[in-house]
Amino acid sequence: MFRKIGVVGAGTMGQGIAEMLAAKGLDVHLTEKTPERLKTAQEAIEFSLERQIERWAITQAEKKVILSRIHPEPSLELLAPCDLVIETISEDLDGKLAVFRQLDAILPEKTILASNTSTLSLTELAGATRRPERVIGMHFVYPAVRIDVVEIIRGLQTSEETFRQTKDFIERVLEKKGVMVYESPGFVTTRLVCLLINEALHLLEEGVASAEDIDTSMRIGYQFQHGPLEMADRFGLDAVLAALERMFREYGELKYRPSILLKKKVRAGQLGAKTGVGFFSYDKDGDRVS
Amino acid sequence: MNVLVINAGSSSLKYQLYEMTSEKVLAKGRVERIGMESSILTHEVEGQPEVREVSEILEHTSAVRKVLDMLTHRDFGVLRDAADIQAVGHRIVHGGESFRESVLIDADVKREIRRLFDLAPLHNPAHMMGIAAVEANLPDVPQAVVFDTAFHQTMPPTSYLYAIPTVLYRKHKIRRYGFHGTSHDYVSQQAAAFLGRPLEELKIVSCHIGNGASCTAILHGKSYDTSMGMTPLEGLMMGTRSGDLDPAVVPYAMTKEDLTLNEVNSMLNKHSGLLAVSGISSDMREVVQAMEEGNESAKLAFDMYAYRIRKYVGAYAAAMNGIDALLFTAGVGENSAPLRRRVCEGLTFLGLELDAARNEASGGGTRRISADGSRVEALVVPTNEELLIARDTYRLARGAAARQADGQA
Repeated sequence: MFRKIGVVGAGTMGQGIAEMLAAKGLDVHLTEKTPERLKTAQEAIEFSLERQIERWAITQAEKKVILSRIHPEPSLELLAPCDLVIETISEDLDGKLAVFRQLDAILPEKTILASNTSTLSLTELAGATRRPERVIGMHFVYPAVRIDVVEIIRGLQTSEETFRQTKDFIERVLEKKGVMVYESPGFVTTRLVCLLINEALHLLEEGVASAEDIDTSMRIGYQFQHGPLEMADRFGLDAVLAALERMFREYGELKYRPSILLKKKVRAGQLGAKTGVGFFSYDKDGDRVS
Repeated sequence: MNVLVINAGSSSLKYQLYEMTSEKVLAKGRVERIGMESSILTHEVEGQPEVREVSEILEHTSAVRKVLDMLTHRDFGVLRDAADIQAVGHRIVHGGESFRESVLIDADVKREIRRLFDLAPLHNPAHMMGIAAVEANLPDVPQAVVFDTAFHQTMPPTSYLYAIPTVLYRKHKIRRYGFHGTSHDYVSQQAAAFLGRPLEELKIVSCHIGNGASCTAILHGKSYDTSMGMTPLEGLMMGTRSGDLDPAVVPYAMTKEDLTLNEVNSMLNKHSGLLAVSGISSDMREVVQAMEEGNESAKLAFDMYAYRIRKYVGAYAAAMNGIDALLFTAGVGENSAPLRRRVCEGLTFLGLELDAARNEASGGGTRRISADGSRVEALVVPTNEELLIARDTYRLARGAAARQADGQA
């Protein structure tokens, strides 16, 4: 079973995944493009753990133990001893292909390479390596610490053995439910939730209901923790737009065409919780203020 | 006969090796950080300096192998050969309704312990790893399991049922089980011997007060009621656990603070009790010290803690229609004279008269802290759960050996 896990890319998802893995008792080796970014990520993880102490989820002692298991690594070469490496850099095909090529050269042949991509082709990423049978998708849902389902994506060449090991790891060690998904842009979660968000945006554009009322209807009506617009704010409107555009290109169907309102918000830099303004307003801790 | 007692946690394993003729501890120790590169084995033999060894121990089977290597080590060991261990006893937290007493392990017992994983998800799986690890290393040695819950299986339904739809009991076995059973059992036997009276005639309330704390009404030697419930969260206020609470507080707090199940669970188990009220520590010594320095919240925490124990003692005296002896045991119970005094001060109506000097005096072994002539005896009884596990294991292993010899004869 995997004990030493490499995490490449320490953005929002990478931080969450690293924190979750360390909380499960695994040794995490985290890398970023620059030392500054790596430092920022470590601070963000520490801040997130502090927030969890405030919410009584963990204790000071547990925070210390979790932090001690996250090892910042200045270069990809240092991931060589890992049993599993999870790539979670931004959703850009060329960037990911480059990382996969580099990792393929560094890692021993038996190491499994996973990508947290939500819309890109696993088969294409696997093609950049000499081990396509040991490349797999592990799509965590944000926030990875709290959400207990992972989409396990099989590329065209992913082997049965790789799939089985990954599923075992997710279910036994991470104690999350693993669902098997065949490669297809957006898989299950991203495809469905982005369509929901996009349709909510159309409702808003058409003046059918206010943002507040759209969210309230879905929250109470269908027991969503957050309504679709707040969900979009929390994912980051830029990420939602990128996912929709990708699916629109891949499927060529009009239903994936991003709403004009979404494009406008992104152009204005109102990206949601992380910038303080999206469809609603947020404080620096990401809590809703209106 | 040498008996090895094992208490396996998910990433730790404690052990004690007993020689049973003298009931002497030959060696004891623990393995910590199992599953990591730098696991630590600490090994102690009386009269010798402690040995510490850091190495990579990835799972329980290697941990047990390391322990056996240490026990037979040329310099630090106490045995010539691992075959000199004739039986192994395991501490198991949850025996559910299946186990009323300690038993030797066989396939059925293992299956049953596995079936109980749901009731003790943090403990029983780890114990099971300990059992498998011993099996792998000492395949021919008999193993026994001793349950924290077994002693309380004598409780009547009036004590163990919750007043909720009975389908929950029938379907999911939701009921009071109680914990620290080995300790309550051991100290009540010690107390009866100390008092020179048969246990079968005594009404005892025993207070096991350590990190976790529970009170048990022991009527004529049998557990009649106990303060911990389906899990060790119910009952007394503890170091970091809330103890008794209006169950409606849980959904209310979850809604108001937008908490998940995991968060509210952790709040009640790890962020409550002495720690929460004092704002200082979960350690009674530190709370008492702060109180003596004039800290108001420390005083409140201390007073609440003592008050809850007193309420339970009163309730259990009523439950048994009388009380002959009140026992204090475990870390806080054995060592905190201020706490014992505060509890006993309000129990004079029962006829309990504390002797202040005896209460303050320290000393090993069972000792009386009530005044001569007190109608209720108050005793401090050091607990020794490992010894009880060793004794049960010894008795079961010897019985099995005798039966086998009979069979062959």
